[in-house]
Amino acid sequence: MTQRDIGKPLFNVVLIIVSASVFVAASAFPDVNIPGDLSAAFFPKFLSGLIFILAIPCLIKDFQEWRKGGQAVSSSSISLVRGASQWLFVILLLIAYVYAFERLGYMISTALFTFSCVVGLTVLSGTWGTLSTAVKSKALAGALVFSVVLAVTIFYVFTDLFKIPLPT
Amino acid sequence: MISGYLDGLGMVLQLSTLLAIAGGTLLGIVMGALPGLTSAMAIALLLPVTFGMPPVAGIGMLLGALCGAGASGSIPAILLNIPGTPSSVATTFDGFPMAQKGEAGRALGLAIVASFFGGVASMVILSLLAPPIAEFALRFGPAEYFSLSIFGLVIIASVAGKSLLKGLIAGMIGFLVSTIGTDPITGVGRFTFNELSLLTGVNLLPALIGLFAVSQVLKDTFEYDPNERLKESGHRIDIARPRFIETLKHWKAVMMGVISGSIVGPIPGAGGSIASLVAYDQTRRFSKTPEKFGTGHAPGIVSVESANNALLGGALIPTLALGIPGEAATAVLLGGLMIQGITPGPLLFADQSGTVYGIFLAYLLANVFMLLIMCLGIKLFIRVLMVPRKQLLAAILVFCFIGVYGVDGDVFNLYLMLGFGVLGYFLNRYNFGTAPVILGLILGPIAESNLRRGLQSFEGDWTPFFTRPISVAFLIVAIGLLALTLWQNYRSNQQSTPAGDDSV
Repeated sequence: MTQRDIGKPLFNVVLIIVSASVFVAASAFPDVNIPGDLSAAFFPKFLSGLIFILAIPCLIKDFQEWRKGGQAVSSSSISLVRGASQWLFVILLLIAYVYAFERLGYMISTALFTFSCVVGLTVLSGTWGTLSTAVKSKALAGALVFSVVLAVTIFYVFTDLFKIPLPT
Repeated sequence: MISGYLDGLGMVLQLSTLLAIAGGTLLGIVMGALPGLTSAMAIALLLPVTFGMPPVAGIGMLLGALCGAGASGSIPAILLNIPGTPSSVATTFDGFPMAQKGEAGRALGLAIVASFFGGVASMVILSLLAPPIAEFALRFGPAEYFSLSIFGLVIIASVAGKSLLKGLIAGMIGFLVSTIGTDPITGVGRFTFNELSLLTGVNLLPALIGLFAVSQVLKDTFEYDPNERLKESGHRIDIARPRFIETLKHWKAVMMGVISGSIVGPIPGAGGSIASLVAYDQTRRFSKTPEKFGTGHAPGIVSVESANNALLGGALIPTLALGIPGEAATAVLLGGLMIQGITPGPLLFADQSGTVYGIFLAYLLANVFMLLIMCLGIKLFIRVLMVPRKQLLAAILVFCFIGVYGVDGDVFNLYLMLGFGVLGYFLNRYNFGTAPVILGLILGPIAESNLRRGLQSFEGDWTPFFTRPISVAFLIVAIGLLALTLWQNYRSNQQSTPAGDDSV
């Protein structure tokens, strides 16, 4: 799987681009002259420069490895697609959760997030279609109960036990 | 020292502190028993809960989690032949065969007591070695602190990941992120993008939770397969009775575990799997019946489990005395100490000795709680293994969110946590590792401020950094270890270059 993972060299490309951008941005910092002191831009420029330099050999090595992987398609390509869709789904759900957190309040947004996460993973993992209607209803009811119980339990643990206020 | 212990005892012997340590231990046991969830993740999840607590209670809770997770990795290792943590790999060698013989309760009883002995012995070693090291470090000035920070960064970067270059890059990413915010000397804003939350720099809590908890959940989400459910153990366990006498009969194995763990523990990045494998190997080597190892032999379990918990005390020595953690879990613990307002290092021992000895005693109590909770709740923890993965992942994510939001009610920190989670996922996936990032975040500001303070006091002269004996010693050792790692990687590459090998 790792042999054909184009993400490995691509990640190095991202590092190179970001480090170059950081170097340019740091070069624009105002220069405040204090005797004996390095400028505020010294470390950002030094570190981004080093990351840039070190990422190049990593890119070359990872790209060569990727090319050596040949045209063979991994036997687990179906699970790769499934894994990627599950991963992306959870990321999008998390962004939606942050957005909804202060707007809908803790209780509703948390219950919705948990329910969507559990049901969504069941659907995306491919098991949903194999279930009978009765089992599907049971699974939905179970996810609903779990979501509400989790949201209520955490709310009381944080607000009553640890005295940490949450938006309602 | 005695007055320090008395002060510490006063801090520890309070109901709230005892409950905090017990609670942390319980969570650590649950997390350690679940394959794939790490002790670093347990500590990261507990960090927000410790905010309102007194330092000894908060740190005691985190130490309890560390101690519990270190011991409970043996549960799936013995019952299912699946190590709960990397350090429990060697427990499967004799633990699972013993369980297959119908003696799962005996194997767990031995593992629990051996973990307890290992933990207590390492606490004694910690309390004896950490104070003199911290006292020596009182001689450090800006030049020495700068070199020490560079030493810590280089060492963890070279041993934490699979690749030296990638480990160094990860450390520098953390260092670079630590420069975000207002420059403390010139007042210049660095990469703040007019965001108020970034003016004081990147908050450590969302970074820790993102890198160690969210990234792990994202990895589990990617790998989530409903068909790969753990099969329930067929071994019957009524109660895992602690086997004190039988464990003590194998005192040589306990000693081997304690020695291995205490020596390997302070070495940055060496980790529990090395300590336990060394302990297992040495115990077998010196045994009169080496052929019995691997067949369910008690000394095999005892040496490995005592090494696992002895390792923690060893790893705490550089963490507390110098502020240089040994691996991921102690790096997160270091973050926890700093969030609690405790700056690890020599001044901690000089200024807050009561707190330090309180932490030692809290670690001792965490071992006692681990013993009690593991013995009483063993049947419950076996059931934890069967918790459906998707429900668990959703619950952990909610806990991460509430933890980060609850501290200061800043939604920006939630986005920051998500960003660190995604970054951590890719760093782990492509063998950069996340522990060096945290080290960079923690040690970066120490390195920068001490270099700049030093340069100001030396009137711009760099030579004291390379002429003061302690400073130059740290730099030479760091460069030497870097060169050694490069040479070892070059040698292993020459011998075999399999595709996907990242050892450069």
